[in-house]
Amino acid sequence: MLSVRDLGVAFGAVEPLSGVSFSVDKGETIGIVGESGSGKSLTAMSVMGLLPLIGGRITGGTIVFDGQDLTKLPERAYRKLRGGKIGLITQNPMTSLDPLKKIGPQVDDVARLHLGMNANEARARTEEILGTLRIPEPALICDRYPHQMSGGMKQRIVIAMALAADPDVLIADEPTTALDVTVQAQIIRLLDDLVKQRDLALVLITHDMSVVAQTCDKVVVMYAGRAVEYGPVEAIFDRPRHPYTQALIACIPRGLDDTARLTGIEGTVPTVINYPKGCPFHPRCPRAEAICATDPPTFSVEGDSAAACHFAEVAHAQPA
Amino acid sequence: MPNLLEVRDLSKRFSSGGGPFRKARSMHAVNGVSFDLPEGRVIGVVGESGCGKSTLARLILRLIEPSSGAVAFDGDDLLAKTPAQMRKLRARMQMVFQDPYSAIDPRYTLTRAVAEPFEVQGVKPARPMAEEVAELLEMVGLNPGLASSYPHQISGGQKQRVGIARALALRPSLLVLDEPTASLDVSVQAQIIGLLEDLRTELGLTYLFISHDLSLVKYFCDEILVMYLGRVVEALPDTAAPARHPYTRTLMESTFEPDPKKRRLIAPLEGEVPSPFDLPPGCAFADRCPQASALCRTETPALSSETGHAVACHHPL
Ligand SMILES: Nc1ncnc2c1ncn2[C@@H]1O[C@H](COP(=O)(O)OP(=O)(O)OP(=O)(O)O)[C@@H](O)[C@H]1O
Ligand SMILES: Nc1ncnc2c1ncn2[C@@H]1O[C@H](COP(=O)(O)OP(=O)(O)OP(=O)(O)O)[C@@H](O)[C@H]1O
Ligand code: SF4
Ligand code: SF4
Ligand SMILES: [Mg+2]
Ligand SMILES: [Mg+2]
Repeated sequence: MLSVRDLGVAFGAVEPLSGVSFSVDKGETIGIVGESGSGKSLTAMSVMGLLPLIGGRITGGTIVFDGQDLTKLPERAYRKLRGGKIGLITQNPMTSLDPLKKIGPQVDDVARLHLGMNANEARARTEEILGTLRIPEPALICDRYPHQMSGGMKQRIVIAMALAADPDVLIADEPTTALDVTVQAQIIRLLDDLVKQRDLALVLITHDMSVVAQTCDKVVVMYAGRAVEYGPVEAIFDRPRHPYTQALIACIPRGLDDTARLTGIEGTVPTVINYPKGCPFHPRCPRAEAICATDPPTFSVEGDSAAACHFAEVAHAQPA
Repeated sequence: MPNLLEVRDLSKRFSSGGGPFRKARSMHAVNGVSFDLPEGRVIGVVGESGCGKSTLARLILRLIEPSSGAVAFDGDDLLAKTPAQMRKLRARMQMVFQDPYSAIDPRYTLTRAVAEPFEVQGVKPARPMAEEVAELLEMVGLNPGLASSYPHQISGGQKQRVGIARALALRPSLLVLDEPTASLDVSVQAQIIGLLEDLRTELGLTYLFISHDLSLVKYFCDEILVMYLGRVVEALPDTAAPARHPYTRTLMESTFEPDPKKRRLIAPLEGEVPSPFDLPPGCAFADRCPQASALCRTETPALSSETGHAVACHHPL
C-alpha cells in the first residue's frame, strides 16, 4: 500500500534524515520507534508532503503509494491525498481541531471536501463514525466545542476526522503520548479494531517499545535520522541484532523482573548538528570497533529482518 | 525499621472560579491520605494526571499548607514547626522535580547551582566549597570538569543529575522524587533510575517516588500507593501483589508488556473521569467500574487493611 525507500530529508545544509525504508500493507500495523530527535515526525511529514511547509526538502528516495511516487507529486494533487486517502493523527489533537468551531461541522467538512457529500449525508456519516468510535451520544457531541471535551475524547474526534475521508493509510504520530494510560489503552484498542475492520494500513509512530509490542506487526527502529533495524515484531523483540535495539529493550523497566538492573545507554542521543560519522551509534555502542567510527554500516539481511551494523551476525550469536 | 515519615488523613482543598458572577467551587486535590514510610524503604505513588500526586508531595514537604491532617518526619510534627525550624528540617527532606529545566537557574553555573542549598541554609560544608561541589557532581555521575558549565550547555539527563546533586547537597535522609524521569528519553531514564538505586544503597536514603508509569514504579519501589482523584484507593504491600481495587486492575491492564507474546486483551472502559469539582457521592470510580453496585453510588468506601493489603472498595477483587 505504502512503500518508502531510502528516504533522505534536508533543511539547507543539514540532513536530519537519510536512508529510511519501510513498507506497510492493508490490514497491517507498522511501528516506527525511536528516541526523541530520531526522525520519526520528519518521516511522517515527508509522507504527508508537508516538508515544504517547514522549509525542508526530500533529497533522495521514493515514497510509493498506490503505484505512484509521491515525491514527484505536485502540491495540487497532494492536497487531495492528504487528509483523504492518507490520514494523519498527531500527538496534540488541537493541531487538527479548530477551537472556534463545533465538532459536528468540523468532521462533516472532511466528507464534504473529500467525498463530495452534501451537508445531510456528511452529518449522517459523521454520526455513524462517532458511533463506531464508541463515542456516546454522537448527536450531542456534534454540538460541542473542543474545549468542552477531555484529551482522550478530542483524540477520538481527530481519528474520526481522518476516518471520514475513508483513508487507505493512517499515519499516527505519537497519538497517545499526551494521554493517561487507561485512555491510551482505549485508543490503541480502537486503532487495532480499525485496522482489522477497515483493512487500514497503520503507521504507528511512538517512542514506547511496549506500545509497539502490544500493537504492531512490523517494526522500524530509528536512531539519529536513520533506520537501524527493521523486521517482524517477534523477531525484533526476541532476536534483536542491532546493539541499539538490544540496548533500547534493556532500558524498559520490567515490573516483576527484579534481577535485571537498568543501566541505560552511556551518553546521550545526538542532535542533528552532531550526528556521528560512520555508524551513528558508535559513540554509545558497547561493541564499537575502529571501523564503526569511519564506515557507515550497510544492512545485513536475515529473513524478513535487517540490521545496519558491521557486526550484526556476531551480535546475533552473543545477545547482550 | 522506624517510620521516617508518617502521614495522617492529609487533605488539601483548592477553590477556584470565585468572582462577582460565579460561585467559588472547591475541590479536594488530596483527600484523607494516610501512610507510613519506614526508613530505608521506597514507596511509589502512582496514578493518572491530576489525581493529586504532586500536591501530596508538596504537602509532605510543607511547601504548601494542608487543609487538614498531619505529617510527622522522624517523629517530629511538621505542622507545629515555625518557619525557621521548618527551614532547618528541610535540609533533611528534599525534592527532585520532574522538569530539570525549571529546577536550575539558567544564569547559574553548575557550581553555583549545586552550592545554592548551602547558601539558602546558611551552612558551610566541612571542606572548601569547590571540593564539596566536585564530590557531589561525581556522586551523581557527572564529570567535575563540567562545574563551570551553564545549564544550556548540558543535556536534559545531565540537568536532572544536577537536580539530584542539589537535593543531596545537605545530606538528606528523605528524597521525594516527583516524576524525575518523565521528560527524559528511555535510555537516559534508565541511567537516572540506576543512579538513584546506587545512591539509595550508598547513602541509606529513603524515597517517596512519584510516577504515572506503573511498570517503572513496580521496578523501582518496595510498596505502591495507587491514587485516584485525590484518594489512595489501594496500598500494594509489594510489587507482585495482585490488584484488589478495580481501578488498579484497569491500570495494570492498560500497562503493556515489552513482549509481543504477552499482548493484553484491552477491555472497553465506559465512562469518563469525573471532574474533580463535582465529584458524585460514593466511590469516584463508580462510573467506570464494572463491579459498581447501588451502594457504591451512595457511600464512599474507606481504605481498610484487615489483610495487610489495604483497599478502598465495597467489592474488592
Ligand atoms: N524544521 C526543521 N529544521 C531543521 N531541523 C529539524 C526541523 N525539524 C526537525 N529537525 C531535526 O530533525 C531531527 C529529527 O526530528 P523529528 O522531529 O523527526 O524527531 P522525532 O523522532 O519525531 O522526535 P520526538 O520523539 O522528540 O518527536 C531532529 O534532530 C530535529 O532537530
Ligand atoms: N495551586 C493550585 N490551585 C488550584 N488547583 C490546583 C493547584 N495545584 C493543583 N491543583 C489541582 O489539583 C489536582 C491535583 O493536581 P496535581 O498536580 O497534584 O496532580 P498530579 O497527580 O501531580 O498530576 P500530573 O500527573 O499531571 O502531574 C488537579 O486537578 C489540579 O488541577
Ligand atoms: S556498526 Fe559498530 S557502532 Fe554501530 S551498532 Fe554495530 S558495532 Fe555498534
Ligand atoms: S467501591 Fe464499587 S464502584 Fe468503587 S471500585 Fe469498588 S466496586 Fe467499583
Ligand atoms: Mg516527533
Ligand atoms: Mg504532578
